[in-house]
Amino acid sequence: MDEIAVRFEHVSMAFPGVLANDDVTLDVRRGEVFALVGENGAGKSTLMNVLYGINTPTDGRVFIAGREVTDFSPRTAIGLGVGMVHQHFMLVPSFTVAQNIVLGREPRRGRAFFDNAAAESTTRRLVAEYGLEVDPSEPVEELSVGLQQRVEILKTLYRGAEILILDEPTAVLTPQETEELFAVIRRVVREKNMTVIIITHKLYEVLAISDRVGVMRKGQLVGVRDTSQVDEQTLASMMVGRPVLYDHLEKTGAPGDVLIQVEDLTVRDNRELTAVDGLSLSVRAGEILGIAAVEGNGQSELIEAITGMRRIEAGRVTICGRDATGLDPGAIRALGLAHVPEDRLATGVSRNGTVTDNLLAGRQREKRFNRFGLARRTSTIQRYARELYERFDIRGAGTDSAVGDLSGGNMQKVVIAREFSFDSPVLIIAQPTRGVDVGAIEFIHSQIIARRNAGCAILLCSADLDEVFRLADRIVTLYEGKITGEFTGEFSKDEIGLGMTGGRRDKEAAS
Amino acid sequence: MKKRFHWGYLGSLCASVLLAFAIGAVILAIAGFSPLKAYAAMVDGAFSNARHIGDWLEYAMVLCLTGLACVLGSRVGIFNVGGEGQLLLGAVVGCQVGVWLAGRSAWIVLPAAALAAMATGGLYALIPGWLKVKVKVNEVITTIMLNTIAASLCQYLAKGPWKNPNKNMVAATAQLDSRYWLSKLIPGSNLSTAILAAVVITFLTWYVMEKTSTGYEMKLTGQNPRFAFFSGIKTDRIVIVCMVISGAMCGLVGMFRVYGAEHLYRSSISNQYYFEGLTVAMIAGYQPVTVIFLSFFFAILKIGAQGMELTAGVPNQIYLIIQTVIIFFMAAESGVFASLRASSQRKKARADIRRKEGRDHA
Repeated sequence: MDEIAVRFEHVSMAFPGVLANDDVTLDVRRGEVFALVGENGAGKSTLMNVLYGINTPTDGRVFIAGREVTDFSPRTAIGLGVGMVHQHFMLVPSFTVAQNIVLGREPRRGRAFFDNAAAESTTRRLVAEYGLEVDPSEPVEELSVGLQQRVEILKTLYRGAEILILDEPTAVLTPQETEELFAVIRRVVREKNMTVIIITHKLYEVLAISDRVGVMRKGQLVGVRDTSQVDEQTLASMMVGRPVLYDHLEKTGAPGDVLIQVEDLTVRDNRELTAVDGLSLSVRAGEILGIAAVEGNGQSELIEAITGMRRIEAGRVTICGRDATGLDPGAIRALGLAHVPEDRLATGVSRNGTVTDNLLAGRQREKRFNRFGLARRTSTIQRYARELYERFDIRGAGTDSAVGDLSGGNMQKVVIAREFSFDSPVLIIAQPTRGVDVGAIEFIHSQIIARRNAGCAILLCSADLDEVFRLADRIVTLYEGKITGEFTGEFSKDEIGLGMTGGRRDKEAAS
Repeated sequence: MKKRFHWGYLGSLCASVLLAFAIGAVILAIAGFSPLKAYAAMVDGAFSNARHIGDWLEYAMVLCLTGLACVLGSRVGIFNVGGEGQLLLGAVVGCQVGVWLAGRSAWIVLPAAALAAMATGGLYALIPGWLKVKVKVNEVITTIMLNTIAASLCQYLAKGPWKNPNKNMVAATAQLDSRYWLSKLIPGSNLSTAILAAVVITFLTWYVMEKTSTGYEMKLTGQNPRFAFFSGIKTDRIVIVCMVISGAMCGLVGMFRVYGAEHLYRSSISNQYYFEGLTVAMIAGYQPVTVIFLSFFFAILKIGAQGMELTAGVPNQIYLIIQTVIIFFMAAESGVFASLRASSQRKKARADIRRKEGRDHA
């Protein structure tokens, strides 16, 4: 058990202007599940990219299975038994499972011909050996995300991986799929004595799966603990560097009038396929309606349609009792809606614009910022921006710097500050804390609850299910553009997970 | 929000200009001319007499207005490469209005011609603007192609229906009655009262872009149209309006050239002047104030080079070489400096680590 699989000795990795890894010394033992946690930008992925040979460390030494790595390249790392499953899968959708797995090291018939039968039998052997159930002849595009991930894992095993790196593996999974993944991890560790390093944001997963956990903060490894000796609070505090208060959200008040009404809404996605299919829902004042759905089930299109960012094919949207169907975002905002978009870089900010310009957007025509409608009151605008900057605790180089220079969390605070400042009766919030670190999440959540308690009708959509559980008063599950379930009171993760997969368990996953 | 002056930009501009002149000198020497004499002739060509100064200012006006027209488009994220066509059409239509209205008071003819030129240029810019917004057709391609169409159309009009009655004038429209000519500010030069209108237009363009909420909305639209739309700005409308105004400005420049300098339409109305204005806008980094200053500078080069050709016999293409080399260096500069900066930061980061380790080991 105590054999060392991976050793980092004083590893530092500098990028222009950033020290992403700062003198990290760490041993990972053979046959353990090691979790690496930390806020965004703490250096977890950088460290793993060093191990996988994508980054050549500026300083320090790396040993894999006792041998020092001298030539940092993925090829070398794979040769030494390292496999990595990235957050975004690298699979060819139209190829079968077997074809994807052998890609790069295909079995040949003669010299030139691909041997599909051999590929499938090899895959079948791997599947049996590691207990990762998946049909080798199925095209990858037909598989659920959970099974695609399984293919990625099989791919690394095919290449002889003994050390498996999983980068945020559960970000795209339903609760059931996560459970299945964990079962697989436990099995390969127990039966094959593999080493698994898992990068994650979600602390309860760390507790569920790992033997030991390393916490990173600002490029440094601030501590390694046995998982049995820590809890979520401790880990969160280590990550942030100060105590984090959880579960301090107090919900008050009773629901009022219906402020968001969606009736029989049909919307198409960018490929002109139906993304939202005759959907109806309503949200009352003082209520948060959470949407739980696996990515790509119409939640993005639903929100874009409500907020005027996407054309509505059929149906009606009513905001604060007034018809908002087919209006542009400006007109819908005028009805009393504010919107935190899911993709802040593409939609939520102007990266090259200053913080001030970004905070002002939507208010530039207000009387107080204009002199007779002819000239902007620059000093009033700056004072306004600085006030919001302080109030929402945005940290950066000041209001005159470009928003693109802020960290992800602070960029999101700019979006939240702007949208919440409208004091609108309706808020549409998508992915409020995606890529945001623990400290900022706490703050954003309390802001959302404050708006709810003030009588705002909130539609919340998040890929982070725990966030939905934590904030929502009511949850609807969405599957292929339709509502598959509605939940109030005590939420059951199992039932909601079932609703997210269309109310039936995934065929392949169950077999 | 506050405009801070960018010393870095000024430094690299000056360096680029000096290098360009140095390279120009080498080329002149190779070609057998004395660089010193040639450059002296250039300065002389621009300033030796009042007529040259007048021509210099008139050309600076053309560069400034066309450059700002380009900035106007780029501010909202649309690159108007079609100013040349808009200018030519504005010139020919503006001129013909003066011919049609011959006999009426200048107080009627001049405003009518200006409006007609602006409407023509604006409508001609509306086509690519509308295509860009509604069907996402790349405006660079459409505007370039529309340039060719406009040039041919103007040529046809000048040779055909609107041809000068004088048989010796091959490709020119009828000449305007001299009472419609804009008064010369410097006799014998091209400089006319048009420059007064140009000053007003320049000020207004700068003011709207830099000082008003409309300018703010334009800026947001150019930076991230999706974000601008999301925040409630009618981005389609703002893009189309800016494109039309940009075209109208070009059309008006054409009218200025006709009524202030040429007094009839022929192809020498504009010898790719819009592209020179566009070049100035690019070198200026699309900053209105910089465009204004650089217009005067490049106009010196242009007029000076013409003088140089006359007095020292140096072909005025040397002007093009210098201009091109400046652009080249300005473009290279951003890349070179960025990589230098990155490598110095890497070095610094490494030094930090070593220092730290030294401390740890001590």
